[in-house]
Amino acid sequence: MIKILAACGAGVNSSHQIKDALETEMGNRGYEVTADAVMVKDITEEMMAHYDIFTPIAATDLGFDPKIPVIDAGPILYRMPAMAEPVYDQVEEAIKAMK
Amino acid sequence: MQPKLSTTTLFQPETIYTSTATSQVEVFKEIAQKLYQRNLVTASFVNNLIDREIHYPTGMDLSVISSHYPNIAIPHTECEFVKTRRIIPVKLINPLTFHSMIAPASTLEVHFLFMILNDDPEGQVNVLAQIMDFISQTPSDQLEHFFKLTTPNEIYQFLNQNF
Repeated sequence: MIKILAACGAGVNSSHQIKDALETEMGNRGYEVTADAVMVKDITEEMMAHYDIFTPIAATDLGFDPKIPVIDAGPILYRMPAMAEPVYDQVEEAIKAMK
Repeated sequence: MQPKLSTTTLFQPETIYTSTATSQVEVFKEIAQKLYQRNLVTASFVNNLIDREIHYPTGMDLSVISSHYPNIAIPHTECEFVKTRRIIPVKLINPLTFHSMIAPASTLEVHFLFMILNDDPEGQVNVLAQIMDFISQTPSDQLEHFFKLTTPNEIYQFLNQNF
């Protein structure tokens, strides 16, 4: 099971949309994925150690360097395949690289 | 496919606004005061809204969808400051500068706000997804017409029929 950490400022709308989209699309591509949506300010190095991929909505300064792949997932918010596909492809590549 | 909330649930005629504010903070204070008077948000809502927009901006560049669309913003707060789930449309008579949500270093001239009140982040309905589906799926000539509407009643009638 691949664990993804999605994050936005409020942990309410944007990150939940990314969580839902990644779980659905990666499931469609044949991967077992679960994602959690959190507020950026709540992220710690210890928390991130429990995840395989980090997908913020934009480049984010966490105050530490993540040790897992970081993929900006903001384009998913547009709900347009042409914008979301490159993000999905990057996530899939990251998953493949783990196997 | 996620369930959708109906238009009559997400929009209420009495919480659709036009604003002549000339700054982001001014429009946030103006709308937050109206929402607080209706007991839809907490007293701390406005400060969280202003602070959050500084650190996590919400402007959305719609030129990537159509060069004819004005940009929007989707201001929102953490759920603890909100008492309902609703979208608050705000037509900006004076375009205001917002930073981009997905490219925070860049600025956008924003003409319309879809302020999201969401007190249930774990719910099955994604309000932001519904807004973006409305924008990406409404025929372009109709959406251009929508963004030119200037009265709350016109905006509500359009959303009621098309959202």
